[in-house]
Amino acid sequence: MTLHHYLILAAVLFCVGLMGAFTRRNAIVVLFSVEIMLNAANLNFIAFWRYSENPELLHGPMFTLFAIAVAAAEVAVGLALVIAVYRHFKTVDLESMNTLREE
Amino acid sequence: MNGEIAFWILSAIAVLGALVAVRKRNLIHGVFALLVFFAGLSGLFLLLLAEFIAAVQVLVYIGAVGVLLLFAIMLTERVAGDDGRRMTSRGWSWGLVVAVAVFVVLLLPAILQLPSPEVAQEINPSVEELGKKLMNPYVVTLEVLALLLTAALIGAVTAAQGVRMPKEEDLPE
Repeated sequence: MTLHHYLILAAVLFCVGLMGAFTRRNAIVVLFSVEIMLNAANLNFIAFWRYSENPELLHGPMFTLFAIAVAAAEVAVGLALVIAVYRHFKTVDLESMNTLREE
Repeated sequence: MNGEIAFWILSAIAVLGALVAVRKRNLIHGVFALLVFFAGLSGLFLLLLAEFIAAVQVLVYIGAVGVLLLFAIMLTERVAGDDGRRMTSRGWSWGLVVAVAVFVVLLLPAILQLPSPEVAQEINPSVEELGKKLMNPYVVTLEVLALLLTAALIGAVTAAQGVRMPKEEDLPE
């Protein structure tokens, strides 16, 4: 397996997440599309670390650990916001939240 | 050879899991497909000899994030999804075009231009080494991350609790 295999796989996964975030109207699905994109980025970190000149510095795994922690914080706050929005609008449909739009 | 077969199987699992998660109308099924995606990715981490990261992936994503998503779905939407409503947003085809364009125009050429290095050496980092790194050069990052997690905890509780509007008679004249 070469580095290219992993990078292309991560690019495919990133674009699947991007597609989900752009095309779905449910806020929770958009949130987990973002998670898919973050995970693709983590795969890139680990792949670059594996094929780097001096992997004993462990930059890749450390960065991935921090990224996972930040992603966990993000998903907790994101879901709390989704619940707050649901309480206000009684829906998680992103297209019916258009209070700011000029009619 | 074995690694190659494992790579193809695991990447197929990951891509299919992600696709199903993104396209499924039933949100609960979507979350379970997402968990399959996380598991495939954790297998890929194992293949890249990042064992601790694979374990963390299982613990944090499959364990915590999965349960959190399930709870959020049960607290909000009708679980099976509403059949009468459109699933995709207005202008979804543009989203699809942009996603494919990002892949074909941006990512693929950039990846193919990179030189493909060999695996430098077989290194299998132990948890002990990771812990030492965490204490020596990365200690500030660790502290900042602890602060971030605390702030996120408080923020999540506050946001999910909702703001209590003051009643009319409580307001000063």
